[in-house]
Amino acid sequence: MNRLVQVNLRVGLLSNVEPVLMQTAFQALRETEAKYQEVSLEIETVPVKIYCASCEQTSEVQQYKFICAHCGQLNNNVVEGTELLIHQVHFSEN
Amino acid sequence: MAIEKSSKGARGSVQCENTSLNLLKANDFMAENIRKEMKRRNILMLNITSSAGSGKTTLLQETARRLANQVKMKVLVGDLETERDASRIRETGIDALQIVTGGICHLEAQMVWQAMDQIDLEGVELLIVENVGNLVCPASFDLGEDYRVTLIATTEGDDKPKKYPRMFLTSELMLVSKADLLPYLPFSVEAVTKDAQEVNPDIGVMQISSTSGEGIEAWCQWLLEKVEAKRKPQLTTV
Repeated sequence: MNRLVQVNLRVGLLSNVEPVLMQTAFQALRETEAKYQEVSLEIETVPVKIYCASCEQTSEVQQYKFICAHCGQLNNNVVEGTELLIHQVHFSEN
Repeated sequence: MAIEKSSKGARGSVQCENTSLNLLKANDFMAENIRKEMKRRNILMLNITSSAGSGKTTLLQETARRLANQVKMKVLVGDLETERDASRIRETGIDALQIVTGGICHLEAQMVWQAMDQIDLEGVELLIVENVGNLVCPASFDLGEDYRVTLIATTEGDDKPKKYPRMFLTSELMLVSKADLLPYLPFSVEAVTKDAQEVNPDIGVMQISSTSGEGIEAWCQWLLEKVEAKRKPQLTTV
């Protein structure tokens, strides 16, 4: 394992991170630091999901309306969408 | 760890899975330490957030004036530069320490932890942290507080909860401040409440004005109840 070739981020819609800006910042780094020239950045955005205890179901939040898609009850039990993770890193073999 | 070789054979890659690194892990770790320390000392800790200029410091001055005789409180206040806010709070006789972030747009748990070393917490029942005026990144940084209280001034417009959902999602109480200006502004308390509760059905809402005094009594009552709940259980004589 040696040279870094790719970094994967998982970025929730509630993390306040803007993938486009992150890519641009990474581009700037790539252009100024020779050792990162061949490293790519992959950003996966994660939608906001809530878990409803009465339906025992998870649903996706649309337009920031925190409402269970199954029963229509208001719900703020966010289970996904706040993360800011370095999810994977890839290295070249030689 | 899965090893994939590209078909060209020019460059393989080693993919490390299960290595997800939470970029806020260090902050969350410090926040937990603060939470434990506050529990050990029976101190109620609040994190006060809002946009710049919505009246956090003025509210704290008013709160200090009213509660200084009933609750032993201290204030930590975050700003990019200057000691101004801490000085304003000290004018009311309350011990306040400024955290100058030097350009950082939010407080982090580490900064609060370091500041805690600089103040005497002995006998303190209420520690209020006034965050940097900003509805964006302070929402992501847990400071170890018991409650997050977010102000929204009537002058800001009633559309903020939907624009900055994470802040309202993570707050227990929303204070609609500068309520004395309501007659002059196109701000609907009903609309802002509805929007905030669509983001967070558990959020409490109070209407206040530090200038006219409206709602300050209810806010102080809320604070006293929370302080009481966190107080060390008194030994009763049988």
